[in-house]
Amino acid sequence: MTVTSGAVAAGAPGPGGFEHVVAETRRGFGRDLVRAVARNRKAMAGVVLLAFFLVLTLFPGEIAPHDPMASIFQPGLGPSREHWLGTTSYGQDILSQLIWGTRQSVIIAFAVGGLATAIAVLVGVSAGYLGGASDGFLSLVTDVILVIPIFPLIIVITAYEKSSGLTTLVIVLGALGWSYGARQLRAQTLSLRTRDFLEAARVRGERRSYVILYEILPTMTSLIVASFLGAAVFAVLFAAGLQFIGLGDPNAQSWGTMLYWAENNEALGAGMPLWAIAPGVCVALLGAAFALLNYAFDEISNPALRLRRLDRPPDVEPRDAAASGEPPDPDRVLQVRGLSVAYTSDEGAVVAVDNVDLDLGRGEFLAVVGESGCGKSTLVYAIARLLGPPFSGEIIGGQIMFQGRDMVTLAERQLRHVRWREFSVVMQSAMNALNPVLTIAAQMRDACKAHSTMSDREIEERSREVLRLVSIDPIHLHSYPHQLSGGMRQRAMIAMALLFTPDLVIMDEPTSALDVVAQRSLMMQIKELQQRLGFAVVFVTHDMSLVSHFSDRLLVMYAGQVAEFGDTRRVFDTPRHPYTRALLEAFPSIRGPKTHLLGIPGSPPDLARPPSGCRFSPRCPVARPTCHATPPRLVEVESDLVRCVLYDDAALQRDPVAAES
Amino acid sequence: MRFVVRRLGFFLATLWAAVTLNFVIPRLMPGNAAIAMMARYKGRINPEAMHALEIAFGVNNHQSFLAAYFTYLGNIARGRFGTSLTFFPDAVTHEVLQALPWTLGLVGLTTILAFVVGTFIGLVSAWRRGGMLDGVLPPIFVITSAFPYFWLALLAIWLFSIELGWLPANGGYGIKTEEAWSWTFAGDVLEHSILPAVTILVTAIGGWILTMRNNTISVLAEDYVRMARAKGLKPWRIMWTYAGRNAILPNLTGFAMSLGFVVSGAILVEFVFNYPGVGWMFLQSVENQDYALMQGLFLLITVAVLLAILAADVATVILDPRTRDRS
Repeated sequence: MTVTSGAVAAGAPGPGGFEHVVAETRRGFGRDLVRAVARNRKAMAGVVLLAFFLVLTLFPGEIAPHDPMASIFQPGLGPSREHWLGTTSYGQDILSQLIWGTRQSVIIAFAVGGLATAIAVLVGVSAGYLGGASDGFLSLVTDVILVIPIFPLIIVITAYEKSSGLTTLVIVLGALGWSYGARQLRAQTLSLRTRDFLEAARVRGERRSYVILYEILPTMTSLIVASFLGAAVFAVLFAAGLQFIGLGDPNAQSWGTMLYWAENNEALGAGMPLWAIAPGVCVALLGAAFALLNYAFDEISNPALRLRRLDRPPDVEPRDAAASGEPPDPDRVLQVRGLSVAYTSDEGAVVAVDNVDLDLGRGEFLAVVGESGCGKSTLVYAIARLLGPPFSGEIIGGQIMFQGRDMVTLAERQLRHVRWREFSVVMQSAMNALNPVLTIAAQMRDACKAHSTMSDREIEERSREVLRLVSIDPIHLHSYPHQLSGGMRQRAMIAMALLFTPDLVIMDEPTSALDVVAQRSLMMQIKELQQRLGFAVVFVTHDMSLVSHFSDRLLVMYAGQVAEFGDTRRVFDTPRHPYTRALLEAFPSIRGPKTHLLGIPGSPPDLARPPSGCRFSPRCPVARPTCHATPPRLVEVESDLVRCVLYDDAALQRDPVAAES
Repeated sequence: MRFVVRRLGFFLATLWAAVTLNFVIPRLMPGNAAIAMMARYKGRINPEAMHALEIAFGVNNHQSFLAAYFTYLGNIARGRFGTSLTFFPDAVTHEVLQALPWTLGLVGLTTILAFVVGTFIGLVSAWRRGGMLDGVLPPIFVITSAFPYFWLALLAIWLFSIELGWLPANGGYGIKTEEAWSWTFAGDVLEHSILPAVTILVTAIGGWILTMRNNTISVLAEDYVRMARAKGLKPWRIMWTYAGRNAILPNLTGFAMSLGFVVSGAILVEFVFNYPGVGWMFLQSVENQDYALMQGLFLLITVAVLLAILAADVATVILDPRTRDRS
C-alpha cells in the first residue's frame, strides 16, 4: 500500500525528476546501480531482509526444527528452549510453521510482481508509444482498474471460488495489480516519445518493436523496478489479508493462514500472543524489505532526492586582498573580493567560481559574459545568496560587500530585510520563476507584505504602477502566469523586481527565452528604466552582442575565473584576452563589415579536473609552453584586468620564448 | 470542457465495469455456490424477486446472456439490488444504508485525516531536510506502511483492550448503550472508534508522508521557490504558498488514485474490530454466502471511491488555476 513518489510523474503538471533517470540510464545504469545500492543504507537493509527470507524459502526443511503441521506437542505452550515461539492450540511448533510459511509469501510476491510488471510494461509502454485512440482506450482501462476497489473485488471472486489455490491467487492479484505501474510507465514513455534518440531511431527506419525493446525499455529500468517492487508489496499484503479472513486454502502453509487460525483460536487473549504476532511481523518485514528497496531506488534514480553537502571545502588559494579590511567605498554598490563557490559532485568538490573580484558603481550596468558552464550564473546567485540547499553550491571563501555590509556573513534573517528592498533578482525564465498557482497580483502582494506596511490598496496601486513601467496594461495584474505571453511574463517579473526601486537588480539571462525582436525591445526598456530609476544592474548573458550597447562594463568569465574585466567599449574595440577575442569573433556584428564567423573550437573544461596552467590554454590559438604549465595571474592593464601571461611583464621576463614575441 | 467530458466518461466506465463484473463473475465461476444460495431463498420471496436474483446470478435462467445482462442493468439502474439473505426480508439497499454512516465516519474521516496530516509532515520534513523530523519519521513510516492493517488492528486490541483494558475491543458502541442522539451515545461511539481510527491512521499515513516529501523536494529546486527566497519572504510563507501549494497537486491525484487501496485496508480493520460498517457487513455477507448483499456493497464501495475522486478533482481545480483554463 505504499505510494511511491511516482505520483509525481502521474500528475501531469507536477515537477518531473525523470530527466535525471534518462540521463543516467543512457550511461550504463546496471553497474552504477550495484554501486549505488551498496552505498545506500536503506537499500542494503532491504537487500539483507530479502536475502534472509529467500534463504528461508529455499531451505525450510533444513532450518525448521520440527514438522510444521504435526500436532505432537503440548498445545498452547509459551516460548521455551524447545519451542522458541511456543506452540499453537493444536500443539504445533509456531517457529516451524513460520519458516515453512515464508515460501508462499515470497512466491506470491515474486510471481505477482513479475506478472503485474509484465502487464504494466506492455500496457503502459504501448499506450504511451502508440498514442491516439489506443492510448485513450488503454489509459481508460488502466484508470478504471486502478480505481475499482481491488480487495473487495478479489473477495467477490474468491467468495465464489472458495478453494482458490496459489495459482488463482497469483493470477487474480497480478491481473489487478498492474495499473499503478502502467500509469507511470505511460507517462514516462510519453515524455520520451519526442526525444532526439527516438527520433533518430525512427528516421533510421527501425521497427516499432525494436524501438520499444532496445530504445525505450532500457531507459525505464528504474520505473520498471519500482513497478515490480510496488506490486510485490501489494501482493504480500493482500494475500495475507485474504488468507486471514479465511478466503484461502485453510490447510496452506502461509503466514496469512497462521493468522487466520490464531485469530480463530483467540491466540492473543489465550496466552499465545506470538502465534498472531510473529506471522504479522514477517508479513510486515517482507513488505518492508520491498518498500525499503523501492524507497531507496527512488533516491538512487532521482539524484534530487539525495541530500548533498560538502564534506570538506576544497583548497582554494588564499587571497591576500580578500577580507583585508579594505574600507567600503561609498560610491560602490557592490564590492566582491576573492569570492569562491564550490559544488559537490560524485567526484568530489568542484570549484565553480574561483577567487572572483568585482566592483559595481551606483547606477552602473555590468554585463557578465561567457559560455555556458563558466560560472556566470553561479557567481550572481552567490552574490544574491541564493545558493545552499537544495542547491549544492556553497560559498567557500571571500567577501561580498553590498551597501556596506558583508552578505557572506549576514544571517538569513537579516538578509531577508535586505532582499527585494535593496536588491532584486530577475531570472531566466519567468515561466518557471513565477509561482504557477498564484496571480501576478498575489505574488507582488507577497513581496510588499514582507517588506512594508503598505495597505492592500497601496499595494494594488503600486503593482499597477510597476506594470505600467514595463508597458503592461494593468488589467493583467490579476492574471495567472500561464495566461500571459512569454514576453509579458518576463516583463511582469521585471516589474516585480522594481516594486521597491532597489539599488541593484541582478538579471540572469532575462531575455534568452524570447525571440530576437522581443529581446531587443526588452533590452531597450531595461536600459531606459535603469537610467530613469538609477539602479545598478548585473546582467548575465552568453550573448555578447546583446550587451555591447547597453552595458558600462564587461566581465568575461572562463572556467570559473575572471578572464577579462573592463570598460565595455574598450573590450569590444580592443579585446585583450584571447578568449574575449574568440567570443567576439563568434558573434556577427550588425552594422560592421562582413567577416567570417569563427566558433571557438573545443568546449569549456570540466571544472572537476581543470587543466593545469592557464585554463583556456587547451583552446587558445596563441598558447605558449608556459601557458600549459603556470596558471596566469590577473594583471592590471590601464585600470582594466586581464588574466593572460601576454600582459604580465614579470612572467614574460621569466619566459624567454614569450618575451621574444 | 473536454476535460470534464473525459472525466465523466471515466466515471461512467468505472461504474459500468463494476456492475458488469458483478454480473460476469458468478457466471464465470463454475461453482454451485449461487445455486446453493438460491435454494435458501426458495419459498421465502415472491416470484418476481426470485426471478431478479436468478438473472443476477445466472441460475435457472433461460434467457440469453445478453438479454439477461440488459435486464440486470435495468434492475441496477432502478436501484433493485435484491433481497439480503442475512437480514431477510430486508432489501439490500436498506441494509447498506444502515452501515454506511459508520464507515463514512470511521474510514472517511481517518482517510482524510491521514492525508492531511501525512501531507503536512511530508512537507515539513522536506523543508527541514536532514533535520530531526526528517531523520526519524520517513524511515519509520516506510516500514509502517508495509504493515498489514488487520495485523496492526490485532495488536492494538491485544495491547490496549486485553492487556491494558483502556479501550473497547469491538463494536461501534457498547451493548448496553442505547442507540440515540445523546451525549452518552456520542461519547461511547467516539471511544469505540479510537482504536480502529488510530490503526488506519498509522498504516495509511506513511504513504502520504513519503510522496509529499519527495514532491516537495523536487519543487524546492524550482525557480519559483528560489524567487520567493530572493523576495525575502518569511520561510513559513515560502514553504506554504510556494513549495506546498505546488507539491500537493500531484499528491491529490495520487490520493484519488490510491483510495481503492485504502478502502481495502479499512475493510479488514472493520472486520477485526467488528465495527458495524460497510466493510464488516461485506465480509459477513461473504461468510453467509449472501451474494446479493455482497454485490450491492461492492458497488457501493466503488461509488464511494468515485465520489472521493470527484472531491479530489474539485480540490485540484480549486488549487491549480491551470486546470481551470483547461476545462
